[in-house]
Amino acid sequence: MRALVTGASHGLGRALTRHLLKAGYEVVAVDRDTDALDDLVVESRGACIPRMADLASDNSLARLMERISDQTFDLVILNAGINATGKFEEIPIPAYERLIGVNLIAPLSMASSLVGREQIDQGGKIVFIASLSHAVGYPGASVYAATKDAIASYARSVRKPFRRQGVGVLTVFPGPIRTAHAKKHAPMGADEAKRMAPEVLADKILAAAKGRAKVLYPGFSAQMAQMFGRMAPGMATRMMRRVIFDKLEGPEY
Amino acid sequence: MAKRKARPHNILITGATDGIGLVLAKAYASRGHHVLATGRRRLEGDEDFFGTRNIIYIQADQSQADHACNRIAHAMNKLGWEQLDLLILNAAAGWTGLPQDETSHSVSHQISVNFTAPILIAKTVAPMLFNAGGKLVLVGSTAVKKAQPAFATYAATKAGLDGFARSLHEEWKGRAQVQIVHPGPTRTAMHKKAGMKTGLFRLFFMSPRRAARGIQRAIRSGDKRRIITRGYGFGALFSRAREGEL
Repeated sequence: MRALVTGASHGLGRALTRHLLKAGYEVVAVDRDTDALDDLVVESRGACIPRMADLASDNSLARLMERISDQTFDLVILNAGINATGKFEEIPIPAYERLIGVNLIAPLSMASSLVGREQIDQGGKIVFIASLSHAVGYPGASVYAATKDAIASYARSVRKPFRRQGVGVLTVFPGPIRTAHAKKHAPMGADEAKRMAPEVLADKILAAAKGRAKVLYPGFSAQMAQMFGRMAPGMATRMMRRVIFDKLEGPEY
Repeated sequence: MAKRKARPHNILITGATDGIGLVLAKAYASRGHHVLATGRRRLEGDEDFFGTRNIIYIQADQSQADHACNRIAHAMNKLGWEQLDLLILNAAAGWTGLPQDETSHSVSHQISVNFTAPILIAKTVAPMLFNAGGKLVLVGSTAVKKAQPAFATYAATKAGLDGFARSLHEEWKGRAQVQIVHPGPTRTAMHKKAGMKTGLFRLFFMSPRRAARGIQRAIRSGDKRRIITRGYGFGALFSRAREGEL
């Protein structure tokens, strides 16, 4: 069994990689810096295969796809994602280009080329990581939210055509996760204990990937937020503004 | 004739060589506003093409998002615009086929034209929009309403714009308005360029004029999100654009 995980060095990606290794998978672990994976490589006796790639760069992405072109996967988790928070107009253009490259261009082109070249086995699955912001909006990270909404839409559109090729699609809408990355972008004074631990989330994602679920809102609070966002979208976004945008300090990217 | 504000507005419209953008550019210019129109193509003479003097056209190919952005900023600077009353981000490109057959180039091209470029342009001209208390209007598509197996990337970029508008509307409250309009299928060159065969269905599409009128009505209404489709009833034969401010 072989899996591909992007953004595998830190946070949720690392937790997913670790769980997959434990479950006996060989994991091709993609990240910009793969040093942080050294301990997993040793622990797994080489079942973890680090692949360095900067997903914001077209060339680097093309090289990665070339390098893994003779491998097939049972499970592909397009997890890599970055954020840029602050006032929309204060974040510099290169930061937006990176954000869109990593969060949107990379997962879409990876998904289409992996399925197109039949690199995902029959009965395999692609997992897209969107965000709970899809349900409630995210003032203070409007471009991040936009990339995640685009991912959610793409995943919904490709479900049928990918299914015909024997590949399932799961979209995950996680709320705040207890990672260094989330902490950097959270407003001052946010309660870290309320965020979901990446290990817990990784468990839920892998369990859902085994089943037939199309979407996963992990945890009770994410499900509540989704319902609230669906019933009162305007109010949900206003609330997000009050709890996030109004409390953000400078731009962070 | 409708009343007009004392000051003609400064209006920027992307994707104005064709389709809905062209109709919008001409409509606003005919009411005396200053229009800066952009497009991918090179035009011979702006005046000959648009038939009016208060449209200035610049070439800004959105497949190079930051480059297009620079050209627009440069043009506005040259015109001496310090205020922007209305920004209509209309340019878009599509591709049709099964998602697994789509090349990486097609994916990144559509994302650049439909998604990255509008975002970067909005960011670049934001101070001028704030100066005027202006409006940012994003053109989406009714494709965002459901799964689109035949044009997944296109629908994704438009769904992305929808989410962008939702969050930015909240961020910019009190400084500038943010609206998104989602036109239904329109009789433009887009389908052909995207490699889509529309056949007889095309008869049921909106004309670009009707879509543009709907967009102008949506802009006047100030609603943050509107869907624009044609009606098929008796009234649709006679529906006309209401004249009004902006």
